[in-house]
Amino acid sequence: MYRENWLERLEKRYRWIGFTLLLDLIDGLSLTLSYLFSKTITMQYPDREKWIPYPRFRGHHFLRKFENGDTKCVACELCARICPCQCIKVVPYEDEKGNRRPLIYDVNTARCLFCGLCEDACPVEAIALGQHYEFSAYDSKKLLVGKDVLMKMPGKTEEGGKVVRARLVAGEKVFAEPQGKEGYHWWNRIRRR
Amino acid sequence: MLDLFMTIFFMIIKVIGITLILLLLPVPLTWLERKVAGHIQQRLGPMRVGWHGLLQPIADGIKLLTKEDNIPIYADKTLFKLAPIISLIPPFLVFVAVPFGEDVTLFGRKTGLYISDMNIGLLYIFAVAGLEVYGVILGGWASNSKYALLGGLRCCAQLISYEIPLGFSVMGVIMLTGSMSLLDIVEAQSQIWNVVYQPIGFFVFLVAGIAEAQRIPFDLAEAEGDLGSGYHTEYSGMRFAFFMLTEYIVMLTVSVLIVLLFFGGWNGPFLPPIVWFILKVGFFVYLFMWFRFTFPRYRYDQLMSIGWKVLLPLSLANILITGIFLA
Ligand code: SF4
Ligand code: SF4
Repeated sequence: MYRENWLERLEKRYRWIGFTLLLDLIDGLSLTLSYLFSKTITMQYPDREKWIPYPRFRGHHFLRKFENGDTKCVACELCARICPCQCIKVVPYEDEKGNRRPLIYDVNTARCLFCGLCEDACPVEAIALGQHYEFSAYDSKKLLVGKDVLMKMPGKTEEGGKVVRARLVAGEKVFAEPQGKEGYHWWNRIRRR
Repeated sequence: MLDLFMTIFFMIIKVIGITLILLLLPVPLTWLERKVAGHIQQRLGPMRVGWHGLLQPIADGIKLLTKEDNIPIYADKTLFKLAPIISLIPPFLVFVAVPFGEDVTLFGRKTGLYISDMNIGLLYIFAVAGLEVYGVILGGWASNSKYALLGGLRCCAQLISYEIPLGFSVMGVIMLTGSMSLLDIVEAQSQIWNVVYQPIGFFVFLVAGIAEAQRIPFDLAEAEGDLGSGYHTEYSGMRFAFFMLTEYIVMLTVSVLIVLLFFGGWNGPFLPPIVWFILKVGFFVYLFMWFRFTFPRYRYDQLMSIGWKVLLPLSLANILITGIFLA
């Protein structure tokens, strides 16, 4: 059985002393004061900081390319078949060497649920979901992206998960541009007492 | 003739100055409050408008000015429009009797940093400050909404219960000084602050003052959790801003009174008097904000029992003890 030590017993017995001296209130005040001077966990996105997702993050799609700039896609349509939202449209054609190539490769990112099944299904690792996530638009038609756009989309980076310094770019497209790679993990700043 | 003219001129300047200061002070205060709130909760608070969000209150002011001024259909229109103004005027009137420092020489003339040095200053302040509750009650009544009405009623009951310990707690100070003029009270503290002689009085005044200013943990009248936002639930736009303004000025009034009555006013070593005054008032304003983001709100019955069963006996005991020591 747990026996309280003498201090705890004293505290229990003479609790009114603490109440009279407002010790409980002082305890609360000192806690909030210590929080006042601790680091904040606010991520100043998009003005100064930006969170770079992990490589496993499922953001905007991109198509991988060969060295010569051609897409790796062989237009097998497996991605279109597995997609639960039916938002991929592939139209194949035969090029001069007799290879099957995509003539049209459209992804409707407005319908996409970013499940990543297309990435898993692809036999040649052509389509993949990258770390880009700032592509909201006022018109859902703008979210229907074609092959050219997909091939220009940024691919995956080696590492991620950190909050880095960034600059807000508010032009035709609005996004936060990362400045350098140095960063911190935001959850390291959560204070626990 | 010239003398009289100059006196009137100085008086007008002082009145305009204090009015402007009181109207503009809530601007930095709201900013400070949101910053304190943010950092206590490990956030940053306003950050985007101006340097560290300093211009945020101005942006909010513009927003409030341009918002629709909505009056509920079943509201009592006249009272509804009148209430914010009624609650705004008394806090300004209080500052007529509040001194900010001793005489200074301006343009070769001695003039006091106060509008009027009444010999019943404290009595006047409590009388006028008590009027503020009318605006709140009228606002709650005129809105014709159950939340607003409940807020007004709570406020009424709360202020009645807390005026009494508030008044009694300064009795000790008046007995020590033998005067009700705030100038005399501050002068009497040039050596030792009153808080040393009157710790109980200070405690009671602080708690009752927070209740009087309707701040957490005693903001029963506008408890967001149970009353929407109490007496100003139905208010919007500029009229709401008036209530906000009142709240901040009352908070300032209570801080100023605490400093004048218990913490030696502008007395202090090394620094100029006015700096001491601002520093002390600033500390108490900060204390109120600190309380607000630390404590939960008291229940209504707890509020009443604190007022009648704790503060009132304490303040009476304080008068007794002071009397015994003085005799
Ligand atoms: S991520 Fe899922 S929903 Fe989106 S395109 Fe790929 S398979 Fe379809
Ligand atoms: S992206 Fe991959 S799965 Fe989709 S059509 Fe091209 S090769 Fe096939």
